Amino acid sequence: MNRWRQSVVEIQTRKRQVNESERAHVALSKVTACYQQMATSLGSNIDGSFLREELEETRIVAHKICSGLHRRLLTLLTEMEQGQEDKEQVERLWVIFLSSLENFQQDLKKVRALQEIFPLTQRKDRQALVNTGYAGGTSEVAARAAMVQTPWLSIEETERPDMKTHIKEIDVMLEEMLQRVNVPLWSIEPMQEVDGVQEEDESLEDIMEVEVVSQNNISGCCQHYNCKVGCLLCLLS
Amino acid sequence: MTIRNVRDHGQRYRPRMACLKKVETVVLEMQDPKTGVKSQTQRLVITTIPHAITGEDIVAWIANRLKIDASEAQAMGTMMVAFGYIYPLQDHKRLIIKPDTSLYRFQTPYFWPAQQWPVEDTDYAIYLAKRNIRKKGMLELYEQEEYNNLYKWMNHKWDFIVMQAKEQYRAGKERKKPDRVVFDCQERAYWVVHRPPPGTVSAMDHGLDRMVDPNLEEKKTPDYYRRIIMFTQQCIMRPRVKSSVSIGALVKYTATYKEHDPFLNSCLPSNPWLTDDITYWNLNMPNVETPTKMRVERWTFSFGELLADPRGRDDFRLFLKKEFSGENLAFWEGCEDLKWGAAETMKEKAQQIYKTFLARGAPRWINIDGKTMDITVKGLAHPHRYVLDAAQTHIYMLMKKDSYGRYLKSPVFKETQKKAAAPDAHRFSETQLEQNSKRRRPSLSPITLKQQEEEQKAKLAASGPVDITQVMSKLEKKQRK
Repeated sequence: MNRWRQSVVEIQTRKRQVNESERAHVALSKVTACYQQMATSLGSNIDGSFLREELEETRIVAHKICSGLHRRLLTLLTEMEQGQEDKEQVERLWVIFLSSLENFQQDLKKVRALQEIFPLTQRKDRQALVNTGYAGGTSEVAARAAMVQTPWLSIEETERPDMKTHIKEIDVMLEEMLQRVNVPLWSIEPMQEVDGVQEEDESLEDIMEVEVVSQNNISGCCQHYNCKVGCLLCLLS
Repeated sequence: MTIRNVRDHGQRYRPRMACLKKVETVVLEMQDPKTGVKSQTQRLVITTIPHAITGEDIVAWIANRLKIDASEAQAMGTMMVAFGYIYPLQDHKRLIIKPDTSLYRFQTPYFWPAQQWPVEDTDYAIYLAKRNIRKKGMLELYEQEEYNNLYKWMNHKWDFIVMQAKEQYRAGKERKKPDRVVFDCQERAYWVVHRPPPGTVSAMDHGLDRMVDPNLEEKKTPDYYRRIIMFTQQCIMRPRVKSSVSIGALVKYTATYKEHDPFLNSCLPSNPWLTDDITYWNLNMPNVETPTKMRVERWTFSFGELLADPRGRDDFRLFLKKEFSGENLAFWEGCEDLKWGAAETMKEKAQQIYKTFLARGAPRWINIDGKTMDITVKGLAHPHRYVLDAAQTHIYMLMKKDSYGRYLKSPVFKETQKKAAAPDAHRFSETQLEQNSKRRRPSLSPITLKQQEEEQKAKLAASGPVDITQVMSKLEKKQRK
């Protein structure tokens, strides 16, 4: 009787952990997406110490989620017995985590390289920033990333590694993950459909329609081939 | 998930693109507010976006800064666009610089081409998924095909890809509208460079990956010096030819082939690589009825040329059939088949050739001298790929010295020469060239071509060679009558 009750508790803990991992994945996706969006402004005319700080903060948040997720998934997988019901789900989470980590590490490497190319330590460095056409900042994106909460209630002690250490850490983590747990990567079936997601919005071509301005009775211009842009009249300023 | 195994000696290093660093310095100089390129605002229906630059400004700046003339500056500008440092705002699929008032903008450094990281398919999948999420049916045909491919072989990652695409889309929405437009333009331009649509030439087509990182400086270890020593020793041991002789040969070759070189002379009707019009290839298919005049002229250069061209070989075969000496060519072709064919059928092929051509009283007996026959028969006891080499060379020389000369004077050849086609040169306008580039389609798959070849071979075999016994029996029948 006691044995049966104990396994119920185990099952419940396991279920909680799996749910936490699912939510953590969504959170990690959010943070990494925001990180990438901010990274695209590096080296552009809106680059500055503010952007770099925001990037650092986001990276730390991602690191927190990653370490927690890594710990939980590892325990879930190592404690898995034969014929466990949520085996498929946990393996799926594992593969998603691996792909996430890889993708994020790539972004980290790019950011590190860009920060070296555009050091911003002196005033004249600002002249070299690329005029990309950005006008606003990325504070909204940073705010979105900052609002992400780690789904586990316990406050865990985590270090705040710097960029170089972080990248190396992920390398080590990935190798260790591949060696410790034997998950056949290619057997994972995706749960999302290919065209399942719909968030209708105007396409880039619609937005890029150029204003038609008739100045001094000059109307119409060259018709560009296969261009959804309307009549173009370049304003000579 | 990439398999991380650095000891597999795989080819994964991209060829040297040291020019990237140099282009970057030039691009950074262009940003200077005082001495850089003048920028203006692009007016769209919903907003205005700064930092648009005109093609003519870019070309003028490059010409001024690097002290070169306008056409070279235009070429350099095109190179920058082809690499993806600058992207066009109109006609985004053509990566060239138009030295007029067409607008361009600088690409953000995150999307610059980098030598050390190849562009990942995962990112491309995420980008396509994002486009799909944003508006259904927005993907073009080639993008849809890629998307389906990626779905198939990245199937295990697909949940991650869709999740990340959704999140990236929502993160992008957080930005203000003009910045959103700019980011979308940048991303689109990035993927035009790295996954070019059909009809676009991007500079990232760099050929095969190398096994060794070409940007690494090689360490001067004892092994390295050993390799250098071996190489130089082999160079010394090579047989030497007087430079007057070798230069004479080069001059003769150039004089003969000058008219036929597509770089030095224009192809008729037009070079498909330049005009995207494949008439030239269609006219020069291997089994075409009427060859072109240039092709027929090539056959007169040497016997090797005649045999190498399948149409020429067909013509020669026809001529030999009329002369009843087709067995030489058939034997030669059989030997080629043996040399280049599959290893498992080699023994049977060798035996078949022996029975048909070399044995005493064989139906298509070829005339080779006693010594060669001896060597060949001895070799056939243990057949291998090159066992018939000696006989083949003998027959080749025979055909070259004897039949080839007669062929060039024969009515068959003269007939072919008369009927040969001489197409006029195409003259395409700019718009026609653009249309052509959009109409590009992949050519026939090699599988179809191979099937056609096999069918032709089977037809030849079925039509049956005329062998001596048949001819002799026919003559005998006639005599008896």
